[in-house]
Amino acid sequence: MMSIAARSGVFSPYMQATAFAVAGPLKALVPGVVVKGENILLNPKKKFLCRESLNGQSPKTGPAVTVSINGSAGVRFAHTDITVPDFSDYRRPEVLDPNKSSQDSSESRRTFSYLVTGATAVVSVYAAKTVVTQFVSSMSASADVLAMSKIEIKLSDIPEGKNMTFKWRGKPLFVRHRTEKEIATEAAVSLTELRDPQHDKDRVISPSWVIVLGVCTHLGCVPIANAGEYGGYYCPCHGSHYDASGRIRKGPAPLNLEVPYYEFPDDNTVIVG
Amino acid sequence: MALAKSVYNLLFRRTSTFAVTIMVGAVLFERVFDQGGDAIFEQLNRGKLWKHIKHNYENKEEE
Repeated sequence: MMSIAARSGVFSPYMQATAFAVAGPLKALVPGVVVKGENILLNPKKKFLCRESLNGQSPKTGPAVTVSINGSAGVRFAHTDITVPDFSDYRRPEVLDPNKSSQDSSESRRTFSYLVTGATAVVSVYAAKTVVTQFVSSMSASADVLAMSKIEIKLSDIPEGKNMTFKWRGKPLFVRHRTEKEIATEAAVSLTELRDPQHDKDRVISPSWVIVLGVCTHLGCVPIANAGEYGGYYCPCHGSHYDASGRIRKGPAPLNLEVPYYEFPDDNTVIVG
Repeated sequence: MALAKSVYNLLFRRTSTFAVTIMVGAVLFERVFDQGGDAIFEQLNRGKLWKHIKHNYENKEEE
């Protein structure tokens, strides 16, 4: 075993990365045999920087120099010309010099770090807020849908005591011009006799005008105006009677007719929606 | 340097004040960024937007 190790000099060109013909410290017992006609394909001036370039320095041809036992067949460059990697590329310029105290520049470095962090956070908060706002607002109704959802009604077209039906958001809308007698009757109704107690003045803005959705609260039929025992609306499907304020008085329906949101911009118009 | 030091001690040193700084900064940044963007857009489209050519189509007799 030991003899193999001692005689392994012939293998050294294969076991080392470089084969380089220089004079060894010891005089070789047998002078090297120079193989003629083969060039060593390496560039000794090329810098050794890493393992890959070191590989590139290896001779592509066979061994140029053969020596015998204990002959130095190659040279290891003992890290004299290799740039030792360090972290100076990643360090701030204030702390590059190892002889300088880092405490002198700690204030500015720290402030810079926090400034960068803070600026990133500010932009992130803005971006997140914008994304959320856009997403949420995309779920709300668009402007054309909102414009379609309103209806403007000219009140002078409806004579007193009449009920007119409009289509609003795909549903019938009753606009009723009440007479003084109806107003007085509905205002006098006691809440105790109502199934869904609601005073008449809570259901109207102006007492002359009753604006309700024409959908029966029982199963969604469209009631008939000016019919039924209470002179308001009568649902033909299952016989629900509503009074002139749209309140359920008799029959299977559980609730009063629904009052939508509406407003009077002037005396002659009403905007529902 | 004195300014940086006071900014650090006042705003960045505590997490609570740092968070408040970020929130306030986001509000200010939003205003500046949005209005700046709109201003740049209007500058690039000067004379093409409705509010720039509106006066050409307004009915003078109505006034």
